[in-house]
Amino acid sequence: MALKQVQTTCPYCGAGCQIMFTVDSDANKIVEAVPAKGRTNDGTLCLKGHYGWDYLNDPQILTRRLRKPMIRKGGKKAPLEEVSWQEAISYVAKRLKEIKEKYGPDSIMGTGSARGAGNEANYLMQKFMRACIGTNNVDHCARI
Amino acid sequence: MGIPEIEDAGCLLCFGYNGADSHPIVARRIVRGRQKGMKIICADPRVTETARISDIHLQLKGGSNLALVNAMANVIWTEGLADTKFIEEHTKGFEDFVKVIEKYTPEYAEPITHIPAETIRKAARMYATTKPAMILYGMGVCQFTQAVDVVKGLANLALMTGNFGGPAMGIGPVRGQNNVQGACDMGALPNSYPGYQNVTDPEARAKFEKAWGVSLPGEIGCPITHVPHRILHEKDEKKRIHAYYIFGEDPAQSDPDLAEVREALDKCDFVVMQDIYMNKTGLYADVILPAAAWGENEGIYTCADRGFQRVRKLIEPEGDVKPDWQIIAEISTAMGYPMNYKNTEEIWNEMIDLCPSFKGATYEKIEKYGCVQWPCRDKSMEDKGTPYLHKDGIFGTKDHKALFYGTDWHPPVELENDQYPMTLSTVREVGHYSVRTMTGNCRTLRNLEDEPGWVQMNTGDCERMGLKKGELVKILSKRGYCITRCLPTDRVEPGATYMTYQWWIGACNELTTAKLDPISNTPEYKYCACRVEKIEDQEWAERHVMELYDDIRAQMGIDTGKGAEA
Repeated sequence: MALKQVQTTCPYCGAGCQIMFTVDSDANKIVEAVPAKGRTNDGTLCLKGHYGWDYLNDPQILTRRLRKPMIRKGGKKAPLEEVSWQEAISYVAKRLKEIKEKYGPDSIMGTGSARGAGNEANYLMQKFMRACIGTNNVDHCARI
Repeated sequence: MGIPEIEDAGCLLCFGYNGADSHPIVARRIVRGRQKGMKIICADPRVTETARISDIHLQLKGGSNLALVNAMANVIWTEGLADTKFIEEHTKGFEDFVKVIEKYTPEYAEPITHIPAETIRKAARMYATTKPAMILYGMGVCQFTQAVDVVKGLANLALMTGNFGGPAMGIGPVRGQNNVQGACDMGALPNSYPGYQNVTDPEARAKFEKAWGVSLPGEIGCPITHVPHRILHEKDEKKRIHAYYIFGEDPAQSDPDLAEVREALDKCDFVVMQDIYMNKTGLYADVILPAAAWGENEGIYTCADRGFQRVRKLIEPEGDVKPDWQIIAEISTAMGYPMNYKNTEEIWNEMIDLCPSFKGATYEKIEKYGCVQWPCRDKSMEDKGTPYLHKDGIFGTKDHKALFYGTDWHPPVELENDQYPMTLSTVREVGHYSVRTMTGNCRTLRNLEDEPGWVQMNTGDCERMGLKKGELVKILSKRGYCITRCLPTDRVEPGATYMTYQWWIGACNELTTAKLDPISNTPEYKYCACRVEKIEDQEWAERHVMELYDDIRAQMGIDTGKGAEA
C-alpha cells in the first residue's frame, strides 16, 4: 500500500476550507480526510468537509456517475447511446457550427460552473463562447 | 474584508445570512467573535442560530429588507451618529440619499417590517456606535426582486458610519457555492471578461481581441435566468436560443419555475450537458460529456473573500472521462478555433496576464502562501495580495470616492392572496449541497437527510391545520406543487413556510417564481405565495413518495431492483 498525503480545497461552499487527504495510490482510493490549517478554516471542517468525498466512490445511491460520452442518436425522446470521445466532440462541433451558421452566434448559450470545475475551465468556457462562437451569451449560477 | 477578520469586529450586522446552515465554518467565526465580546444584530425572518446568540434579533417580515435598512440609515442620520468627516472626505451623493431616507422613520417602517420602532432605533445605534462594525449578507438579501438596492442600502450604512478601509469592517457577501466567486472572476458572466473588465468597454475589448486573435461582440449577452424565455418566447430568430451548452449545472433542479425550465429544455434544438453525475437536466440533453470530478483534476478555486487556492488531484478518474478544460478545448479546436494547453497552469498564466487585478497571483505564489487574495498586481513574492479592499477609504471609482445610492422600498412581486394565503422562501440544508448529485451520493450525508425533505411551518399554523411533525403534506403555488414532510417549528413566523431546494420529490422550485431583480437578474426565490394542504391518506402518500423516488433513481441509471431502465 503506497500512501500519500495531498492537501486540497473543499468542493463545498465559499468558505474555502483546506483538507488533508491520505490516499492509497495503489488502490486509487481515499483512506482518510482530516482538517488542514487553512487561512479561513484554521484546522476545522464541517460535516460536508469531513464526509463529502464519498461520491468519488460512485456508491450507486442517487444517480449514476457518467463514465462514457453519450448521444441521443434518435432525437429528443430516444435513449442515450454510448459513443467514443471522437464521435461526441465532432458531433457537438458540427451541430453548434450548423446552428451558428443558420441563426447566428447569439442563438447559442453556454454556462460556466461555480462548482468543481475550477477557474481555468471557466476561463476557457467564456473564451470559447466569446472567441469561437462569437457571443457574450455566457453566465453561471451565481444568480440562482 | 476576509473571513478570519469576522471574529475581530466590534459589531456584526448579519443580514439575511444563515451561516450555521450555509457555511458552518464561517458561522464558527461568528461564535468566536461573540465569545470575544462582539455585539451581534441579526436581521432574519427566522430564529436562526445567529439570531439565538444575537443582542438584537430584527425578525422582519419577509420582503421588507430595504424598509428596514433605510430606517436604520434614517436613525443614524437624525440622531447625529453618522461619521460626517468620512462622508465629506470619501463619498459623494449623500444629500440626495438623505432626501430618500427622510421618510423612513422607524414608525414608518414598523408596519412594513413588523419590527417595533424602538427596536430599529436600538439596532441602528448599536451598529453606528460600536467600532469596527462589519456587515455580512447572504441570499436573504440577494434572492429578491429588490436585491441590488438592498446591497447598496447596506453599503450606505457602512459608508455613513465610516466602516470602510480598515480591518474587521465593511460589507461582505458570503458566496454560496465553492467557486461562485471564481466563476465571476473568470468572466463567466454576460457583461464582463475575466477580471471584471467590461465587454462594452472598447479598450478592454481591444485587449482581448488582440490576445485571442479574433474580433469580439460588444453587446452584453444573455443572463442564465433569461434562457427559458429566450427559448420559448423570443420572436427574433437571431436572438432565440437554439443551442444550450450546460456545464456543471442542473437547471432542471436548481432554477425557478421548473415546469417552464423543462418545457424550455424540451423545445431547445440542441442541449449539451457536461457533468460528473447524471441529473435532471441530463434527461433533456442531446449529448452528455462525462467530466473528471473535484478530486480527479487540478486547478484553482476562489473562496468567498477573494482567496485563490489550489485544488489538487487525489485519485485517477475511472472510465472514459476528461477534465472540463480539455473537453472545452477539444470542441473549440474541432470548430476551427484551436486551443492547445498542456495543463491548467498554462491556462492560468494566459488569464492572469490579461487581468491586472490577478496578474501577481502565480501558481508558484499560491503554492507558497497557500492562499492569495486578489487584487494581487505584482508577480514579485512581496505582493502577497489584499486582505481587505478600499484601504484608508480609497475606493475603486475614478475619483476614488464612494457613491451613496438611495431608493424606495417596494414589496415582493407575488403577495399572499385568498387562494394562496401563505408565503414560501427557499433556504439551505446543512448536510446537503446544491442539487445533491455530490452529497446525495455520499453514504454518511445521505443518511442524515433524504427525500422528500421538509417544509418548516409555524407551530400554530400546524395546529390549526391539524398537521403533525413528519406528516406528508401537499404544497402548491400557481405554478406547480410537490409533496414534502411537515416540520412544525417556532423558529418561523405564522404564515411563512421554508423549504430547502435539493429534493426531487419535495422540489420547492416547482413552486418558486422566475421574477427577477432588474439588475442582478436573480430570481425571487425568497418570496412567493403558496398553500399547504393536508393529505388524509398518509399510507398512500408514503407509498407514492417511495414509488416516485424509485422511478427517478431508475431514470438516473440506478438499479432499484425493479427492472426499470433509463
